[in-house]
Amino acid sequence: MDYEFSPREFAWRDEVRGFIAEHVDDALADETRERGNEGRGPRGKQFLRALKERGWWGLAWPEEYGGLGKTAVEQWIFIDEIESAGAPMLPLTVTSVAPTIMRIGSEEQKREWLPRIQAGEIEFALGYSEAEAGTDLASLRTRADLDGDEWVVSGAKMWNTMAHTATHNWLAVRTEPDARKHKGISMMIVPMDAPGVSVQPIWVWPGLRTNALFLDNVRVPRDHLIGERGMGFYYAAMALNFERLAIGSIGMARRHFRDLVETVRTREVDGRPLREDPWVRERLARLQVEIDAAAMLGFETAWALDQGGVPAAESSMAKIHVSELSQRIADSGCEILGLNGQLHADEPRALAGGRMQWLYRLSPMLSFGGGTNEVQRDIIGFMGYGLPRK
Amino acid sequence: MRPVPTAEQEELRQAVRDFCAREVSPERLLAWEQSEDGVDEQVRSATARLGWLGLGIPASAGGSGAPLVDVAGLVSECARGLLPRPVLGALRGAVALADVAPESAALADVATGAKRLALAIDEEQARSADRFSTIVSDSEGPVVRGTKAYVPDAVASPLHLVAAREADGVSLVLVGATSGAVVADPVRSFGGDRQAHVTYECAPVLERLSPPGGGDAALARLRRRQQALALAEMVGGMDAVLEASVAYVKEREQFGQKIALFQAVRHQIADMGIRHTAARHLAWQAITRLDAGCEQGHELAGALAYTGRAFKELCFTAHHVHGGAGFVVEHCLRFHSERAQSLAIRYAPEAPALAEIASALLD
Repeated sequence: MDYEFSPREFAWRDEVRGFIAEHVDDALADETRERGNEGRGPRGKQFLRALKERGWWGLAWPEEYGGLGKTAVEQWIFIDEIESAGAPMLPLTVTSVAPTIMRIGSEEQKREWLPRIQAGEIEFALGYSEAEAGTDLASLRTRADLDGDEWVVSGAKMWNTMAHTATHNWLAVRTEPDARKHKGISMMIVPMDAPGVSVQPIWVWPGLRTNALFLDNVRVPRDHLIGERGMGFYYAAMALNFERLAIGSIGMARRHFRDLVETVRTREVDGRPLREDPWVRERLARLQVEIDAAAMLGFETAWALDQGGVPAAESSMAKIHVSELSQRIADSGCEILGLNGQLHADEPRALAGGRMQWLYRLSPMLSFGGGTNEVQRDIIGFMGYGLPRK
Repeated sequence: MRPVPTAEQEELRQAVRDFCAREVSPERLLAWEQSEDGVDEQVRSATARLGWLGLGIPASAGGSGAPLVDVAGLVSECARGLLPRPVLGALRGAVALADVAPESAALADVATGAKRLALAIDEEQARSADRFSTIVSDSEGPVVRGTKAYVPDAVASPLHLVAAREADGVSLVLVGATSGAVVADPVRSFGGDRQAHVTYECAPVLERLSPPGGGDAALARLRRRQQALALAEMVGGMDAVLEASVAYVKEREQFGQKIALFQAVRHQIADMGIRHTAARHLAWQAITRLDAGCEQGHELAGALAYTGRAFKELCFTAHHVHGGAGFVVEHCLRFHSERAQSLAIRYAPEAPALAEIASALLD
């Protein structure tokens, strides 16, 4: 057994760290947090431009599509370092949608969409969930009917984050109403400027914007249906698979934890250093161990991917652990900071940048978003340990 | 034993429930959140007219003279119905002043809601009173100097009850906040209780509420009663969070059935129920014992340690079972979650509560 990175992985990590040292500062991290889902600010755009110029846009793409063909472990290293630094992550357009098009699209579709994605001309919002189709995605009702050479799309999507800044929607629609529900869905690209598309903002607790998307007889060219008709449920699952490493990443929580530790180091209460409080020491130490455990679960997923496996159970373990640990970090952080732990991130007096309070408001979303933890636990049981389904 | 409210207590609770059902809506919660004061005059004056602010104030000062347990019942229902925190702050101020100085001339105004009273008893880096940096100086008549932090409702309250060092101990004094000698600098916090850092620059003392330097016991007693009210507030919030979760899982359908039929979901509701029931009894046991004059014993510390954590856990689970539907800003759930953390931080930090219990066990 060997738990050390290979020389190539070490070199890659150092290269990523060097890039971060050159391009990431507190102002970029602040801007990234403040912008939330409002698209990138000037610093974020500059950072992503630098990533692109470095050739890291297609980090995970196969070399035949102009990518670097990095291994899953190398991708995991990249995600962890970038998130830990508080910099903007590569958009889902390049990390999730594009690799799916590479696998399922026709040659014409690949020629049509991939160069535009690579050029940064296209940015997708992901249109999967509906009000009545969340965890049970296969129940979705947004419908597309063929009319000559066009699809006519009608329905409504929920939690369509970035719809207000995206150029296109990567939309799951029902094209085969008579087929069994999992078999009746297709994936379609819908331009956001098509007549009949409208977006309504939904504001959520941490101050982030997501959207409801309405489609009223939207006409879409026939060739915008990507891959095979009726296979959309499986394509959506495939696209989600490409997000596995990011969803289970501990990078963001680790960054906030690091800020908390730095604050505790210098804070005094009642004339005594807070770091000497046994309760505070125990809490921080326990969280550090759990963070280390989270990193191991993420590493396990990446390693299994590189072995050609489908680490569904492993990635579910990482997702559950990180989402629930983020809640514990936030809660403990607020407690340790005491009355200061209630202050908003934009309050100058807030210790640790007010991130603990912000994470307290954000972290509940992590356990039900990206595949609710009940389903993840089922996956671990069924796929990890072969438990019977019935 | 009688671990349920009396008929009269239940009647008051029902009246509060009806009031909240009429007055609290998602739109008003958002409007209160965005307002400077955290509450509108209509609701504030309505609660005063109903006599709620004077419930714990002696009849001689225009109040109802009700015991702490009745005030806690009122607070619990107000919290359950998400009445604005400044209304609860006014109730807290009234209870504190009535307990510390039942003969105070200011009580009548506090009882009618004509004047609000803010409790300025916390500092940025001092949890212990003997570390307070604020002092009462008596060179030219008593004045307060120094800064208090995280003072709820400080800007809107013309009266401040300040705990400050004097001689070898702590004094409790009443300060008029409208003079130029008191500067309140609002801080953005969650929990809705409109906090500020308040600097007292030789602020004249209106009334001494304890002997000079002899207020340590009164401050400790005041804190215990504030913690008891926080327990009531937390239990009220837990009532609402559990109720909303039960209703939601019975209504929401996925995979062709109510999600309440999924064992994984039912077990989460059951766990919420266990925590809620245990916390409710621990909290009311502590409140009733305190009300009966039992100032010692570790019931209060135990209830704080258990209830503070239980409320936050209930909120995390409630968010989880609600999914996105409970995460939008209009939903009541996030207001309860903010209050859960805010209450735990101020009134129920786990470490000192557990330390007190450990000390009772071991020392």
